[in-house]
Amino acid sequence: MRKLFALLLTALLIAPATAMAVDDAKTIEDLRKQIEELSTQLEDISGRVDKNEKKTATDRINWYGDLRVKGDSLHYQDVTVNQGFLVDFDNSFDTLTTPFGGPLAGVAGGDLTMAQAMVDGFVASDEAFAAAVAQNPGLAPAFAAYLAFPSGSLGKGVFPAPTNDKFNVDNDILYTTRLRLGMKAKVWDNVDFSGRLNMYKNWGDSTGTKVMDSFSSFTMDGTNSGNTTGDFLRVERAYFDWKDIGGSNFYLSIGRRPSTYGPPTQYRENELRGGTPSGHLVNFNFDGITAGYKLGEITGVEGQTVRFCYGQGFESEFGNGSLFAEADLEDTHLGGFNIDAINDGTNFLQFTLFGAKDVADSFKGLAVLPFADNNGDGIPEGMNSGAFISRFQGQENIGDMLLGGIGFSREEMNGVNWFISGAWTRTLGNNNFNPMGLGGLLADAVPVMEVTSIDVNLAGEPVIGLEFTGDYVTKGLGEDRDGYSAYVGFQVPAPMGKLGLEYNYGSKYWTPFTQAQDDIIGSKLAARGHVGEAYYIFDVNPNMFIKVGGIYYDYEYTGSGSPVGLPKKVEDVQDGKEFSMFPVIDKAWDLNASLTVKF
Amino acid sequence: MKNAVKLFACLTLMIFAATAVLAAQGGNPKKGKYLYKKECKACHDAGGEGGKLTPLSKTQAQWDRFFDKDKHKTKPDAFKKFSDQDVKDIQQFLFDHAADSDQPETCG
Repeated sequence: MRKLFALLLTALLIAPATAMAVDDAKTIEDLRKQIEELSTQLEDISGRVDKNEKKTATDRINWYGDLRVKGDSLHYQDVTVNQGFLVDFDNSFDTLTTPFGGPLAGVAGGDLTMAQAMVDGFVASDEAFAAAVAQNPGLAPAFAAYLAFPSGSLGKGVFPAPTNDKFNVDNDILYTTRLRLGMKAKVWDNVDFSGRLNMYKNWGDSTGTKVMDSFSSFTMDGTNSGNTTGDFLRVERAYFDWKDIGGSNFYLSIGRRPSTYGPPTQYRENELRGGTPSGHLVNFNFDGITAGYKLGEITGVEGQTVRFCYGQGFESEFGNGSLFAEADLEDTHLGGFNIDAINDGTNFLQFTLFGAKDVADSFKGLAVLPFADNNGDGIPEGMNSGAFISRFQGQENIGDMLLGGIGFSREEMNGVNWFISGAWTRTLGNNNFNPMGLGGLLADAVPVMEVTSIDVNLAGEPVIGLEFTGDYVTKGLGEDRDGYSAYVGFQVPAPMGKLGLEYNYGSKYWTPFTQAQDDIIGSKLAARGHVGEAYYIFDVNPNMFIKVGGIYYDYEYTGSGSPVGLPKKVEDVQDGKEFSMFPVIDKAWDLNASLTVKF
Repeated sequence: MKNAVKLFACLTLMIFAATAVLAAQGGNPKKGKYLYKKECKACHDAGGEGGKLTPLSKTQAQWDRFFDKDKHKTKPDAFKKFSDQDVKDIQQFLFDHAADSDQPETCG
């Protein structure tokens, strides 16, 4: 019995073990199979990942960008063209009287009555001259003008005399295309490369140069990103960021700076902050250095960064025929502070203060000048009938500048964005000026001409030959001038997108570096006057939008955006009280519609 | 002037004919940022329980997958304290600032 019991017990004990052994064997087999399958899959995936890794490691630049197509309808109201030469009629008297009996000039001397009599005589007795005066009204007032001066000083007058003709200019439709290709690449854990290539052209033009009718017509380094040139990609920005240097909060960035589309101009572009410096003061392409410190890491204020920026705006030697050793010019250096006091995604407060030393009377640029210097005296006095392209470069250092501003913007929870920015510029002019007549730093320096010949052409019209006397009439040289500007706006969510309104005002001497703004009529923020803009953005999808809008310019003073030349009241130019080398716009409309795709 | 009016009219028609605007995901990214900083950063900071995590840690598609499929399954309690709209707001914030989202174009 015991034996049987023992046997049974043993059998019972062994049985489950055997059954388990059989189950175990099955499970292990399954597991082995699974592991084999997984290994094969893993090998396969590893092979594919290897290929991807190879591609990523050798494909070093990450590209992104946007394409904008835009149509503008431009309407300029009450444009005045009051060009003229300042003629010294004292010296001209001999020449003017010579065709009608030269010796009379010696007799008249400075006697006004005799001069008046002679002129009356000429007009009355010489039919050709009388007809010429009738056909060219500018001659008659010029005579009257110099006759009005006291005896002994027949004086100088503008010839032809300024008129008060106003006309409208309409450009019904202008199409432009802008392509921006952004690049990002990683150099090292704490070093990045960023850049952007930019093509901006109007349809049908890839010449890269314009006929000069305003300072916006120059093709030049500082404004290439906002000035239509042609179907070529230009490098708008290219710089590296070397962050957390030595484990500190310092960073260093050198290259072609991200200095366009800065705050608060990004709202009208429907994008995030597009540049580092305040867009109200600086919207200009320049190469330079930025040394920054992330103060926010210490103070705890989000986004707080202090930056010192430096650049060279004009290279006075290289490229200017330096081996001739003729130009005695200093480089133009720019430097200053750009501080993001708060930048936490809702509030943005920025302080800017910088200066430019030894500002030159011109940047290096290309344009087709309507006038030409035909007699080689450095002053253009004839027509550039061959439409030759001129390369402009600075000829004098005309002074220094200081610029500063405070900007604040806020993005509310409900999607409303608003901003307010105030800025100031101060020009510190010296007594130098551009010899061609562009002027000094917010000052006039007009070359005085004299009449060296007066002929009547086949059509019976008088042809006046002018030559530079070597003298200039200057006004406002060596002065310090303060200019101010305010820029406000808001953007609210609206059906299918956003609605925005903006306004800015610039005072008489307001001289910022915003000339690279791509508004066709001219940088709206550089206007010496009032500008209003209204726009509607339709967000078709997160990467595509249509913008419809209008900009209204009301200029009060001439020379918006230019540091050379004394600003004059637009009304005075229109009334013939002042003359102006360039056409002067009073009011203008820019109605536009654009479509932008981002990728 | 006539051409401008024609252009404007064409564009307006286009707009109304186009598909309706796709609001990104219906979340408020500003609220999401506030919630993230208040509730999530505690664990998801350097040295924290969840490890350092910022919006830049993932791409937009990866964030979408996380919120659609994963739903923070390593610690489901983390999500329990949020309402549905709160979660959407946080998702919108992370999506809007993801590695492949638009970034401000500044130096540094």
